[in-house]
Amino acid sequence: MTHKRPLLATLAASTALLLPAFAAAQEITVVREVDSNNYDPQRSVARAAAEVLFMMGDTLVSLEPDMQTVSDGLAHSWEISDDGLVYTFHLKEGVTFCDGKPMTADDVVYSINRWVDPETASPVAWRAGDVDEVVAIDDLTVEYRLNAPFSDLLYQLTQSFGTIVDRENVEALGEDFGINGFNGTGPFCWVDWTPRDQMIIERNPNYTWGPSFYDNQGPAHLERIVWQVVPESSTRTVAVLTGQSDITQYVPPIAIEQLIAAPNVEVVRSDEAFWTYFMGFKIDKDPVADTEVRIAMNLAVDQEAIAEDLFFGMVEPAFSYVSQAVVDWDPTLDDRLLRHDVDEANRILDEAGWERGPDGIRARDGVRLAPVAYIFAGSTWGGIAEAVQADLLQIGVAMEIQAFDATVAWARLATQEFDMFGMSFPYITAGETLNLYFRSQNVPTPNRMNWIDERTDELLRTGMAATDMETQLEAYHEVLGKVHDEAVWIPIFHEPMIIAHSSAMAPVVPHNNYGAGLYKGMDLRFLD
Amino acid sequence: MTTAADIDSTADPVAPRRRAWWRLLLADRAAALALFLLTVIVLAAALAPWIAPHNPYASSRTVMLPPVWEARGTWNHILGTDGQGRDILSRILYGTRTTLIIGLVAVVVGGVLGSLLGLLSAFYKRIDPYIMRLVDMMLSFPAILLGLALVAVFGPGVVPVIVALAIATIPDCARIARSIAVSVMEQEFIEAGRAVGLSDGTLFVRYLMRNCISSIMIFISLRFGQVILIGAALSFLGLGARPPMAELGMMAAQGRDFLLFAPHIAVIPSVAIFVIVLCANMVGDALRDVLDPRLRS
Repeated sequence: MTHKRPLLATLAASTALLLPAFAAAQEITVVREVDSNNYDPQRSVARAAAEVLFMMGDTLVSLEPDMQTVSDGLAHSWEISDDGLVYTFHLKEGVTFCDGKPMTADDVVYSINRWVDPETASPVAWRAGDVDEVVAIDDLTVEYRLNAPFSDLLYQLTQSFGTIVDRENVEALGEDFGINGFNGTGPFCWVDWTPRDQMIIERNPNYTWGPSFYDNQGPAHLERIVWQVVPESSTRTVAVLTGQSDITQYVPPIAIEQLIAAPNVEVVRSDEAFWTYFMGFKIDKDPVADTEVRIAMNLAVDQEAIAEDLFFGMVEPAFSYVSQAVVDWDPTLDDRLLRHDVDEANRILDEAGWERGPDGIRARDGVRLAPVAYIFAGSTWGGIAEAVQADLLQIGVAMEIQAFDATVAWARLATQEFDMFGMSFPYITAGETLNLYFRSQNVPTPNRMNWIDERTDELLRTGMAATDMETQLEAYHEVLGKVHDEAVWIPIFHEPMIIAHSSAMAPVVPHNNYGAGLYKGMDLRFLD
Repeated sequence: MTTAADIDSTADPVAPRRRAWWRLLLADRAAALALFLLTVIVLAAALAPWIAPHNPYASSRTVMLPPVWEARGTWNHILGTDGQGRDILSRILYGTRTTLIIGLVAVVVGGVLGSLLGLLSAFYKRIDPYIMRLVDMMLSFPAILLGLALVAVFGPGVVPVIVALAIATIPDCARIARSIAVSVMEQEFIEAGRAVGLSDGTLFVRYLMRNCISSIMIFISLRFGQVILIGAALSFLGLGARPPMAELGMMAAQGRDFLLFAPHIAVIPSVAIFVIVLCANMVGDALRDVLDPRLRS
């Protein structure tokens, strides 16, 4: 009898805990895999930070779900000078921060300057372009002046890095900005953050300046959003199935079919797959310094099998370094892409004089084809790397895998210790990707390939500064052709945005800006 | 284990003659079954390259196939396939090999070093406190933590795990060996040996070691199961065997992601670990029952 009472008490307590969840219908819980190290828009490059910052803040311009059309943000309209050097933004009226203070052109000037200020040490300052100065013409007009034209500027300004911040808030919080608080102009406001556990944000009741591509310009339908970190993929799946979580983009591909079959869950998908997984080569390291070897390894990897077996057909096998759906893709490359062909791969290696040893591994002049690959620890990269390893073994290449936890992986990936590496990245254009990964000044990271080529640098400068589409495309297409021909990466797959949400919610339009599926969350709501 | 018995039957000057040890062992049904299973497992693991039905590293392009007794199972993959489409039975055979080698090498190296330390500290009373304090220090350091530290320094792999497990085996063995040796040292034949002027070496090897070795071997055989468990735990944490090498603990860890949809991927290697450890423990227990002179009287 004695131990029955606590059991009853526990039952009562758990029922009491469940009740508010049913009562407050305008609150959702989003489960996700990882947290960010901070929520300072100019300092964090984590997708986990962008997800919340898109909701807590606003950018000058926004991106439509088609990932190509730039729409209004804090600016309702803008003009670009003919030389591509001056962008004039006209701001919306009546915009206020979460604390009620009006947002003016000065805040925009401060935020952009903070982004490019070397003192901020933003890892993504280059994304703001070569800024000469940003000037407030009046309270509602901002001039963004560049030293060199930057054709990607509007796209870049839709990223969370361009979120407008409140100077007083930044200065008051100092080092704790984005850790203990954040005063933004977004549809939701900061409530509380418990690192690696929960991020809670609440509706900004005064918000009326949402991007026009949303049905709802504000205030948001939802009163409260809880971002809950759940590292285990199967636990996240169960959370969605049991209704503990209302919506998430972090469901394992293996669970998609079951989620589709579940009557209480809807699965939506955006095919604008602008997040690409690849394995890159350090092109000056011995075993993979030969273009032929890299081409053979590209041919050996069966991307279709990986997409089918590991990801249940939920991802798009990649043969190109960026999605072929980006605006500046070169369609003439389509036929030149390396596709799965083991016989051809073996033939190339045989001809190049790489001979198989007694253990089946190829070697030439004492160099064994056994490249060391650094990857992120975890089931996603673990699975990909093992599949690639098995494929490469077929052509006599013994890839050695070393996995590192995300906390140390970035530092290890900035060294010259490895021959291959696994990486994935979000993008909007091919130009952006090329500028990020293939500029020689970006060695050793993110240009981990050690791709140092004067012609590439020159072309990238031309492409970036081009004021007409034709010049830009010509430059970027040449670089795209160069790097694909040199086989500096093995593209693996493009990941589309898949979101699973409760049937009680209105259909969700998946977004993919920086891989943040819910973007600003303006149209998220429960069905009546 | 057979070596333990060989030495034991020829080198025990004080024990009376007795019934063959293995008859006693086989009289215990459970122990006999465990011994039989363990033999089968060891043989299967040793012969893995010849009896495995598939290449354990190559994908069959059918992922998460359930085992044959489930609805979609096929005889081609008796235990099904894993998340990468690899045949689980073949991987279990190869994985058991890795697991057994890790356990065996660690327990032998750690056991020999530990026993030597223990015997020496019982034989030379002067160094006893130093050795035992060292052992105390090692005892207070968990094997998993040691494994983590070694892996941090040398990178993941089988060798750091073996080293960690061997080091973790040393203090226990040293303690046991010392306690056995101390009681042997009090026996009259040691004093007699000294009296007739035998050298330290002879006394140590022929009188002390031979009288302790059976008890120590029994302890080591009992320890074998534990070491396999810790080794599997380290691999489960991603510190041990590296892909594509198969290892039971690692296979269980990889199956964790599929627990909801294809539980057999994690369950089968876990059951394999369970059976190996259970058999090893039962055989060790039974060996102690029939071999330990103190228990027998």
